[in-house]
Amino acid sequence: MNEQPDRARSRSDTVVFLACLLLSTGMLFAPPARTARLASAIRNSVLVPLIWMQQAAEEGKASRSRLALIQAQRDSIALLAQGLPALRDENDQLRRLLGVGQRKPLEFVAAEVLHQSSPTDGLTLLLSAGSAEGVARFSPVVAPEGLLGVISSVDRHTSIATTWAHPEFRASAYTDGGGVFGIVAPAAGATEPLLELRGVPYRDTIPAGTLVLTSGLGGVYPKGIPVGRVLGVVRELTGWERTYLVLPAANPAHAAHALVLLGSAELSLEGAFPDEAP
Amino acid sequence: MPQRSRGKMAFILLLLLLLQFYLRPRLWDSRAAPDFILLGLLIYATRARPGAAAVAGFFTGLMMDSLGPSRFGAAALATTMVGYLAAWGRAVFFADNLLVHAGFIWGGVWLRDFIVLLASGATGRALLWQLAVWSPLQGLTTAVAGVLILVMFRDWLAIRLEA
Repeated sequence: MNEQPDRARSRSDTVVFLACLLLSTGMLFAPPARTARLASAIRNSVLVPLIWMQQAAEEGKASRSRLALIQAQRDSIALLAQGLPALRDENDQLRRLLGVGQRKPLEFVAAEVLHQSSPTDGLTLLLSAGSAEGVARFSPVVAPEGLLGVISSVDRHTSIATTWAHPEFRASAYTDGGGVFGIVAPAAGATEPLLELRGVPYRDTIPAGTLVLTSGLGGVYPKGIPVGRVLGVVRELTGWERTYLVLPAANPAHAAHALVLLGSAELSLEGAFPDEAP
Repeated sequence: MPQRSRGKMAFILLLLLLLQFYLRPRLWDSRAAPDFILLGLLIYATRARPGAAAVAGFFTGLMMDSLGPSRFGAAALATTMVGYLAAWGRAVFFADNLLVHAGFIWGGVWLRDFIVLLASGATGRALLWQLAVWSPLQGLTTAVAGVLILVMFRDWLAIRLEA
């Protein structure tokens, strides 16, 4: 007697399932601009209290568990800063002597990284700073260790950063000291996320351990942000170019805080990051 | 589902939502921390019709996609399938056994990750590494959290758990 309604319900379940599958697949292939607007609308409506709660939790965690580390970092920075006024005076004098203009001050916004449970977390990061704090699209995002990525979508109090681990990431870079230029992109086929320095002329060789920095070309990333250190040659096109494997300076999966750089990409950040031991 | 059971289920889902956004960020490495949202979906799906579970999965995925849109739609696709399969799985072969529940949750997390990664275009060793290391770890922590929730709310969820 009950078979007919059961069969009808089962059929309606299948129809609903197929409709949901169709919608999901449609979103997968929809234009990114349209899906970005939809994602932004959801983040700015139903998800606002949840994002706020996560931000509070991240701040709470930072204030408790990382207090000792932050104090140690602050002490080191305070020690380094003691010599800063003398250096600044010296720099100003040299600039005046050479007729070079004043260096633009670096502006940035600090943001918490709100990690998600998705397996693709790390390709994009949700940051707790948005347009209200001055963040704009294509603002570079850095961690204390080096480059993390670039802002791809901005809401009022949150933003999405596309990290260097994302398959579409590219940045112009050069090697410290040697001045060898290339394009950094995520390495395919590695178990842990690594980068590649592509398009290095065949005549140039880069020793392992060399620091790779953003070149400032392309108008997005300022010059001098550490990208990583060269591990070795991964492949070469005989007589034409070499591709080097690079160990990234900052890992998006582990980043808890980030700095979003504001203003022009013409800034140079050479010397703004402490030297790492090779 | 009776009205009263619906209220209890809503309370449990709300609790899991709070755990996801307030407790989870305070735990260890995000890649291995339990996924309370997927746990909520699996608990709901095993008590709902497959159609309702698919819709719940779709909206859960939409939320996840909005929070980390590396490939928008990938999570919606994955959780729709996980929700639907979980509801069917419950109807077909499920037993009220703690280990079966734990294995079911572990499998749900792994399957979700597998579909999300495939839909996001992950390939090669990165895909294998994620599926062989991080997904099983996250599945394990989610299964442990799931067992705790089931034991704590066994009366509300009307299940007779065997060890």
